[in-house]
Amino acid sequence: MNDQKPESVVNDPTLFVTAASLRVRSDWFIRLRWMSVIGVMTGVITADQIAGLPLPVKGIVATALITAILNVGYILHNRRLATSLNNEVRIVKVQMVMDLILLTMLVNLTGGIENPLYLVYIIHVIIASLIFKGKEIYQITALAIILFTLETLGEHFRIIPHHHLMSASETIHEPLYMLMTLGAFWIVLIVAAYIGSTFMKHNRAIKDDLVQRQKELEDADKAKVDFFRFVTHEVKSPIITALSAVDLALDKNDGNEIVDNMLGRASRRLHQAIEIVKDLSDLTRGGMKSRSRKEKIDLAELTKKLLVSRKELIDSRNLTLEADIPSSPVQIRAEYGKVEKILVNLIDNGIRYNHDGKRLYIVLMDVGSKVVFSVQDEGIGIKPKDQKLIFDEFYRTPAAREASTLGTGLGLPIVKRFVEQMKATLKVESEPDVGSTFTVTFRKKL
Amino acid sequence: MIERTILVIDDDIDLVEIIRVTLEGEGFKVIDAQNGARGLRLASDQLPDLIILDVMMGEIDEGFQVAYELRNREETREIPILMLTAVVDQTGFDFDPEKDAEFLPVNEFIQKPVAPRELVDLVRKHLPTSV
Repeated sequence: MNDQKPESVVNDPTLFVTAASLRVRSDWFIRLRWMSVIGVMTGVITADQIAGLPLPVKGIVATALITAILNVGYILHNRRLATSLNNEVRIVKVQMVMDLILLTMLVNLTGGIENPLYLVYIIHVIIASLIFKGKEIYQITALAIILFTLETLGEHFRIIPHHHLMSASETIHEPLYMLMTLGAFWIVLIVAAYIGSTFMKHNRAIKDDLVQRQKELEDADKAKVDFFRFVTHEVKSPIITALSAVDLALDKNDGNEIVDNMLGRASRRLHQAIEIVKDLSDLTRGGMKSRSRKEKIDLAELTKKLLVSRKELIDSRNLTLEADIPSSPVQIRAEYGKVEKILVNLIDNGIRYNHDGKRLYIVLMDVGSKVVFSVQDEGIGIKPKDQKLIFDEFYRTPAAREASTLGTGLGLPIVKRFVEQMKATLKVESEPDVGSTFTVTFRKKL
Repeated sequence: MIERTILVIDDDIDLVEIIRVTLEGEGFKVIDAQNGARGLRLASDQLPDLIILDVMMGEIDEGFQVAYELRNREETREIPILMLTAVVDQTGFDFDPEKDAEFLPVNEFIQKPVAPRELVDLVRKHLPTSV
């Protein structure tokens, strides 16, 4: 046994064949081998009983039995965990060598070159070229050629017995016919090995290339996330300090209206900058799958809590809030932070982009395995051509910019990303100046 | 009336100055330190009435280390600590002031930015009533 760490070998993605994938193949061979055993048994019974061919039935049945016994051994081996690739390759090689020897015995017992059964050697060579690389393919090919050639020559020179398939056939003792058959056999086998190995080499190159590109993409994505995290972290501190200074100056200002006005504007914009940084941080953090702590969330309670916290804002816009929320808990299992963010962003958009004095309609519905949450406003709406763009980072429709300077352009991209991560769905229906409806359908269990 | 002393430990000198102006305007005495080690020394020497401590200084969790050390020392054990955290601080571990506060030896977490009035109220709230 060699004591390489199994995982590192089994999961090495640069190898076309891994210990685990070889195992799958090996299990497949075992099934094929059972079929060949059944095929041989049926064949010999048919040939003996129906066609009346003069075959050595005992020998053939013995060959099939040896194959079956070996196959049971292979099954027992495959029950154990796959270890290293080298070990698995060795085991498959042993199986192939045994198969070739048994095939040769069978060929000998069923008429040698009189029987087209020797075509089966080609299947072995093709399988070898699919599994192995380089010289191993040609080793198997060489073994097949040697075994069949020895078998044929042995029969020709009467070193081993020849069993007639056709009672009167004497082709095995015709030197020309024998040499032609052998020659054709050699050429076919070598060409099959060459075609198979070349094809697989090409395939492996494509696969290696894909793996490499995949890795590059992952690296680039990680670099992007790291960069965003760095930027949000570095940008946040100065903004917070500036905002604190502005707020303090506002606080200390004694009735100078212009100063109040200007510092008030500065304060609001700095708050907006902090919101952008916060959103960016959510977007990049949302890109990392590690931060997930799923818990039971009562969406009815959460929605009510959020609406209470926004009461002042809703009143300041003279909006009529109509909330259709079940009084009993509506539970889903998900990451609290993400769910809250989705709800907050949609509710805040419903307020922000509504027309003053209009209606804000919020619905939560428990529908079996799913929960539907929707926010409907009677505000500025979204033109059909903009309905896809609103999910792009930093995109804000001209109407949205006009309605409010304080959006970050990141709210809906965050909603979309979190919805995708939670395998929920998001639907938008909107008409300019009539209003918009955003509907999220959560799955209760993830 | 006895003048109350507030120790501000924060490596952002502008923020320290803002807090100083805010609190001095309300009659507090403010002393400051720009790093954890100096903050610990000042706390032991001067025994302030309250400490405002930033989570993120040179090292990612320096504020937490300072807080634990303050709680370990006999002379500073009882001094209230207000811990400043930024809204998007990435402290290297999942940290939720609401849930994890009980494991951390500070009296209150304050999310930056904090309005001047609010800061003054929080300082008053946590100052020991009798001296």
